[in-house]
Amino acid sequence: MSQVALISGGGGGIGGAVARRMARAAVTVVVADYDLDAAEKVCGEIVRAGGKAEAMSVDVTQAREVKALVTDVTQRLGHIDVLANIAGGSFYTKRIEEFSWAEWRQVIDVNLKGTFLMCREVAPLMQKHKCGRILNTASNYGVTGSALRAPYSAAKAGIIAFTRSLALELAPDGILVNTIAPGPTDTPRVMEKETPEARKQRWWSAIPLGRTGKPEDLAELFYFLTTPESAAITGQTFHCNGGLI
Amino acid sequence: MRLQGRVAVVTGGAQGLGRAITLGMAHEGAKVVVADLQADKAESVAKEARSLGAEALAVEVNVASEPSVQRLAEETFKRFGAVDILVNDAGVYLRSPVVSKTEEDWDRTFNINLGGNFLCARAFVPAMRKQKSGRIISIASSIAHTGAKEFADYAASKAAIIGFVKALARELGPDGITVNAICPGSANTDMPRRHRSEEEVMARLRATPLGHVLEPEDIAGSVLFLASDAASYITGQAYNVNCGTVMI
Repeated sequence: MSQVALISGGGGGIGGAVARRMARAAVTVVVADYDLDAAEKVCGEIVRAGGKAEAMSVDVTQAREVKALVTDVTQRLGHIDVLANIAGGSFYTKRIEEFSWAEWRQVIDVNLKGTFLMCREVAPLMQKHKCGRILNTASNYGVTGSALRAPYSAAKAGIIAFTRSLALELAPDGILVNTIAPGPTDTPRVMEKETPEARKQRWWSAIPLGRTGKPEDLAELFYFLTTPESAAITGQTFHCNGGLI
Repeated sequence: MRLQGRVAVVTGGAQGLGRAITLGMAHEGAKVVVADLQADKAESVAKEARSLGAEALAVEVNVASEPSVQRLAEETFKRFGAVDILVNDAGVYLRSPVVSKTEEDWDRTFNINLGGNFLCARAFVPAMRKQKSGRIISIASSIAHTGAKEFADYAASKAAIIGFVKALARELGPDGITVNAICPGSANTDMPRRHRSEEEVMARLRATPLGHVLEPEDIAGSVLFLASDAASYITGQAYNVNCGTVMI
């Protein structure tokens, strides 16, 4: 029986790379994204490469949509072995007094509440099978903070603590919960806003390995944390940032 | 095989975590150097590695002695001509309260646990720099984060390893060399049995959130990942492998 991975934000840069990496390891991937076209594009690539993938639409901030997604996946595929919560984003860079309440809520909800809602629906299915891997996505900013990204930094720090708590809660059921914290990563969404030259100027001298990250760098770490080699790891935060922090 | 043809030096490779790491590397296609103070045990692990089809060399080394580490490097280069992976696992774990700890014990812990990292880095980094690639993986400990009663020197030496790893990662990043640490929790090896009864050791090993006894192979899995191409963008990190006992 093929393993099934549900990936939120699977249509994005990091999510798409994780979906492709899992599919290469013969995992059936459910690429869930707010942007269904993006999810379908990733699925198309996977299927053309000989993998198994399904695209589904979800707004992770909406409890009803998350519940419907998880019900749909379990009805069609029977089980979920891996949940990768990658949907998220910082969306804004502005001073704290310029943030509206709605903007604050949006950033916290997409990153943190969305992770909670997905875990709440998927954990009971994993508990039944007494196994499972949950991978949440934080950021180096969740540890260092970032001027002009207060809600994003708060949400990502929250994900680290949420992960540790959930890891303790689900450990008796053999479910491992870990956080991956990417550093600056060249996703299409980021690269739309910044030229490669500006990015190089901003980051390269600060990163010991001399480059910003690629989604594929992160995908390898996500995949490692689903393998038997990482069976003794739970509640941890895995930074992948070329040595930035 | 993820490490086909790479040359891996594992200090403390003759037993416990070091043995599991050495055999894991051999299984993944690496040529291994089993470097240990205990020459007989090192040779026996080298034999096990050869039985997995790997080329293996056992070298007697005292990682706290500069000439001894230099000999290790010379023998490695003479036999294999290169070094791609250095795993610093050699260490000691001496029990005594701080007020009665001797200066000799303190120095021994630091010279081996921390000084060994420094001397091995100095001996192997120039070759890694020349080839513009390399992996250094140091074995720290959960105790670096939590401390441990009557093991203050061990805790301090392991915390110091994390600081050393982070600094070295910044220094060697521009040369394409990654430097990371693994912080294992208490694992099912001889080390904890030196200071506690079998019953006490097993009770402590089982008392983890996952209820899973941490085996040397669990640590080796993470070391192999960090040594592989899949981890080429990871440096300066201290990853915890402890069945959920410490989350930091």
